[in-house]
Amino acid sequence: MLTEFGKIFVFLIFAMLFVAISIFIARLIRPTRPTKEKLKIYECGEEAMGTPWIKFNIRFYVVALIFLIFDVEVVLLFPWAITYKDYGIYGFLVGIIFLVVLAIGMAYEWRKGDLEWARPKPNIPDLSKILKKKIAQPETIEPSADN
Amino acid sequence: MEMNSLYDSLSLIAPELIISVTLLVIVLFDLIFKNNKKMLPFLSTVGLAVALITQAGNLTDGGFAFSPENTPLFYGMLTIDSFGAFFKILVLAASMLIIYFSSTTDEVNESFDRLGEYYTLIFGMVLGMMFMISASDLILIYLSVELLSLSSYVLAGFSKNKTRNNEAALKYLLFGAFSSGLMLFGISLIYGMVGSTNLTALNNFLQTGSINLFTITISLILVFAGIGYKISSAPFHFWTPDVYEGAPISITAFLSVASKAAGFALLIRFIRVGFVSYVDSEGFWKLSEVFDWQLLLVIIAILTMTLGNFSALWQDNLKRMLAYSSIAHAGYMLLGLAVMSDQGVLAVLVYFFIYAIMNIGAFFIVMLIANRIGSENIDDYDGLGFKAPLLGVSLGIFLVSLTGIPPTAGFIGKLYLFIALVDANMIAVAVIALLNTVVSLYYYIRVLKHMYLVKPSTEPPVIKPSFNNLIFVLILAVPTIIFGIYFTPILDFAKQCVQFFGV
Repeated sequence: MLTEFGKIFVFLIFAMLFVAISIFIARLIRPTRPTKEKLKIYECGEEAMGTPWIKFNIRFYVVALIFLIFDVEVVLLFPWAITYKDYGIYGFLVGIIFLVVLAIGMAYEWRKGDLEWARPKPNIPDLSKILKKKIAQPETIEPSADN
Repeated sequence: MEMNSLYDSLSLIAPELIISVTLLVIVLFDLIFKNNKKMLPFLSTVGLAVALITQAGNLTDGGFAFSPENTPLFYGMLTIDSFGAFFKILVLAASMLIIYFSSTTDEVNESFDRLGEYYTLIFGMVLGMMFMISASDLILIYLSVELLSLSSYVLAGFSKNKTRNNEAALKYLLFGAFSSGLMLFGISLIYGMVGSTNLTALNNFLQTGSINLFTITISLILVFAGIGYKISSAPFHFWTPDVYEGAPISITAFLSVASKAAGFALLIRFIRVGFVSYVDSEGFWKLSEVFDWQLLLVIIAILTMTLGNFSALWQDNLKRMLAYSSIAHAGYMLLGLAVMSDQGVLAVLVYFFIYAIMNIGAFFIVMLIANRIGSENIDDYDGLGFKAPLLGVSLGIFLVSLTGIPPTAGFIGKLYLFIALVDANMIAVAVIALLNTVVSLYYYIRVLKHMYLVKPSTEPPVIKPSFNNLIFVLILAVPTIIFGIYFTPILDFAKQCVQFFGV
């Protein structure tokens, strides 16, 4: 008889086998035409190697936040949907309160304009002009924010 | 869980529910009336006042809320008792003061379109603190500490176009993430040994179970690291000066009073519920002999107040000086807990009540002056005492009270602390605390010297605070004097509240 951890171990073995077998089968039947880009590590379209001090588009975070709302919602709603009948009207209300709070979060994002993908274009300053200016008069050290 | 017991539990956490509903109302109000930010402080104050009145009405209520299924009733997630009620009232009252404080702070009002978030996050902090105060389950302790921390990280960096502010928020986040990781590791070790996350279960285990002393020592030190970070005790205090200096001043005051109060309540409950095997007839706690809390706390307390006081000597920025002074005060209060008796906890409660009043007062006046002259540097205070007599005298009262000189309230707080120490035969520790008080006199009085005795190099500006602000200063300054002479009400109130439910 399997213990509780034994069941998890079986899961683990199946997960590993699944990956190994599917990669093996894919290797058998797929054509092989590697290019430089294809051989790179995949990291959501970002350059995988290099300095970490690069600018990400802020939209990545917004999308992640919006995703989080619905992700958490689904994780909690599935178990609720199965068992709420056992608890009568209170069980139902618990779920509704949760949904209302989530809806407020959604309303917040909407009202603050985070759902609009196409934002007004920022006024991009002319880089060459700024560089010239900086060479002409190097930036002094900013005074501390005390004042 | 039975639905009936859930329903009963909800009535026990009525103040917390009121705070949660107010939080949602503020979010909705800010979304619907985008340009009306004037109402936000008012709404917040009303919500806090209703919660405060509810809490004050339920002062003597006791009970366990949210006991998991198939466990004894006293394995609740929350313990509601009058000890918790004291700290909740303290936190709610301090929050009301801070709401008014914020509404007059220039640093906060500069970011007009984010004000809704500001008040919402303050409520997030209050909610976290209130759960922290009554939490008697390690999971809930961790969760509420995180709720408090996450809100305060954002608030510490609220005026985000200042470099100093961003630095404060980032440092706070990094230190906080690390120490909460340590705390979680400690909690997981405790769970591995006890098999339950409940503090009462921990207590039962320590009295009967077979204990691996090494593991429990490591895990308790790790948990203490998490709590010690919240109350900014040495050696977990390094974030305090930078965060307190960089954060908006209203948030600094809030962190130094309310957040610290919640941390202390958590520490006291953790030790009282988890480790005390019985209380003897004189009110001294007999701890399970697995971990010497008294030794740890005495060492930490002495280290904390000495470091705080001696570092404060060199500070020229008043916010930074008050930050170190708040570290030192955390040290004094840890001594009260280290006595390990009901009298010691009574001293901590009295001290906290007084500390909240005088510390918010001191920060408020520093804010009023900074609003006018745009600086918190001590050299810019030269000669200010004569140009702003009421502010100067009030700041004097608060600083003298923070030192602990009669006839101010700060003296009463220190007096009860020392009485508790001497009663427990901890004379040497009491002497060290006394010497520390003498050291602190220097840097508090130095501010007064600059305000009244140093000749200013340029003519100081005239500071005329508005009528409301004057009233606010008086609301804080008058009790600081009155409670120094007539302190029976605080004492009676605190005595009534040194009661833990179910232990």
